[in-house]
Amino acid sequence: MARIMMPNYLQTEFDKILDREYFSKEVHPLRKKAYDNLLRKGLPNKKCEDWRFTDLSAIRAGDFRISEIGDGPKKDIRVSDHGLESLDTIVIYNGHFQKNISSVPEGITLLSNIDYMKNNGWSVEQPEMTSFDLLNSAFMDSGVSLVIKEKTNIEVPLRILFICSGNDNIMITPRIHLDLGESSSLTLVEQHEGNCDEYFYNGSMIVNIEDDASLDHVRIQNNSKKTINMCNLHVQQNSRSNYSFSQFAFGGILGRINLNANLIGEGVNCSLNGLSLSNDKQHSDAHVITNHHAAHCTSSQNFKSILKDRSSGVFNGRSIVHEGAEKTDSSQSNNNLLLSQDALMNSNPQLEIYTDDVKCSHGSTTGALESDALFYVQSRGIDETSARELLVRGFASEIIDMIRDNEIRDHVIGHFDTWLNGNDQ
Amino acid sequence: MLKIKNLHAGVDDKEILKGLDLSIKPGEMHAVMGRNGSGKSTLSNVITGKDGYTITKGDIQYNNESIIDWAPEKRALAGIFMSFQYPVIMPGVNNTYFLKAALNTKRKHSGKKELDAAEFLKIVKNKLNELDMDTSYLQRAVNEGFSGGEKKRNEILQMLTLEPELVIMDETDSGLDIDALKIIANGVNKFRDPERSFLVITHYQRLLRYIEPDVVHVLIDGKIVRSGDKELASELEEKGYQWLE
Repeated sequence: MARIMMPNYLQTEFDKILDREYFSKEVHPLRKKAYDNLLRKGLPNKKCEDWRFTDLSAIRAGDFRISEIGDGPKKDIRVSDHGLESLDTIVIYNGHFQKNISSVPEGITLLSNIDYMKNNGWSVEQPEMTSFDLLNSAFMDSGVSLVIKEKTNIEVPLRILFICSGNDNIMITPRIHLDLGESSSLTLVEQHEGNCDEYFYNGSMIVNIEDDASLDHVRIQNNSKKTINMCNLHVQQNSRSNYSFSQFAFGGILGRINLNANLIGEGVNCSLNGLSLSNDKQHSDAHVITNHHAAHCTSSQNFKSILKDRSSGVFNGRSIVHEGAEKTDSSQSNNNLLLSQDALMNSNPQLEIYTDDVKCSHGSTTGALESDALFYVQSRGIDETSARELLVRGFASEIIDMIRDNEIRDHVIGHFDTWLNGNDQ
Repeated sequence: MLKIKNLHAGVDDKEILKGLDLSIKPGEMHAVMGRNGSGKSTLSNVITGKDGYTITKGDIQYNNESIIDWAPEKRALAGIFMSFQYPVIMPGVNNTYFLKAALNTKRKHSGKKELDAAEFLKIVKNKLNELDMDTSYLQRAVNEGFSGGEKKRNEILQMLTLEPELVIMDETDSGLDIDALKIIANGVNKFRDPERSFLVITHYQRLLRYIEPDVVHVLIDGKIVRSGDKELASELEEKGYQWLE
């Protein structure tokens, strides 16, 4: 088993978190167990298959500390500074839940994670646990749990806004639980913003979607260019439920999503999508696993990256059709556009099929803009720069257009335009 | 309108056009016929300015200006249009958006007011009718999922909308059934104008039954070896190309 030494700061910070008076001691056994497991497992290095192309030395070498009370907002913060004004918003600032400026729509019960875990017998195990899940369980310092009872349609999208700020090397470890009751529906926007310096976000989100329920999940990762954003997302889908996920990753020096979707009920729809835009030396990694455990489910993975400068990216997608998951319809696609000769993409779509009578497809392309397409556009009178822009925009729009809500889609297009025109410094 | 003089052009070190002369006056419809490999595509590509070709000798003049150093978009804005043999599929680029962008670029270039969405739609809907296309074309991505015939019709839709002065039709008849061919020919015929010229590049005589050329040229091994009236096309259909070699 390949592993690396644990970063020095972790033990100090772990002791600190156990001493925290304002954190419940009830969680200590859970923290300790996760921390022990983490020590055994270690943080991965490039010898681990799932981490071959992603350099974690910034996490190892960075001298991070957990967020303190003093890292809370020094002055009033305005939610409206971050767009998407008509949404209900839960604000988490440097790991601190900002109750006074958060609003939760009717129909959603907001619980502390402690209460939620207490109600659920302190069970935190997920089918696939990486070191970063363990790190999250050991250090969880903030977040909320959202419970929506059955037959509840939440009309206005709910946003969880993570703001990071300041010049200290902070590690924040939020955790979100979301339970969507039978026949309920929600649009959730997860938005990451902030102008901080070195910052290590290691968030976990654990989602359970009951029978016939439907969740639209849009993740906008627009952190500063010095941030590390590690996302651990676990989704469990029951019968006939719908889950649609689209990530728009613009920010961070290192961004990684570990997405596990577990389709345990029959007749489920699961659509996982992503668009990653990178420049300078950014690195964006999407590690996506769809587990088909039940029959008659449809799933898709559709991830795209557009890379400028010396940036790099990874797509590692797996669609696993387990025994008993007959009539699975699964597609996987990864298309990448390199706008610079120095950009690098690693693409690895994989299918694992352990049952008969399934329909599965996968494909991957990586390349520069095609000269034939450029010529075609230019031959209609459009100059080369605009022609490139048109084609890049077309490439991205397949993912952007999946956002159903106009306000959210316009917001993402705004980010895309800024990135395309190179004004994102 | 178009004057090509002693044109030598090729790809890398391979010369494909070997001293081609061609002159088209306003209002004329010319056809260039030739077998595969005779240089037909090279001819259309060097007139429209595609990358990758080297012109070693001779000149292409459009309205008495040499255009061989012009970028493709400059040629297009000056009024040159090519209906592609293989129109490019552009996933994610909406057909309306593309056509409107092209038309407005052209209007802006010639000092006209840019059209808003409603004004544009009104114009383009008339053109769609002419080509027996339904409005759902406009909502689709450029050429994505289009059949061969739909792609060619979409090229002609672009032509009718952009109103060029010189139209090059590169193998427009390939992949078309007879109904689509008639619709396209009809669109082109209505578009003929004393100020507008056409260069129809084709392998077969088929299209020329519906679009009557004023002059027919035979291209063999990078040179025009014979020019004549439309009867020459019938003769070629009958006898093949050998008798001219």
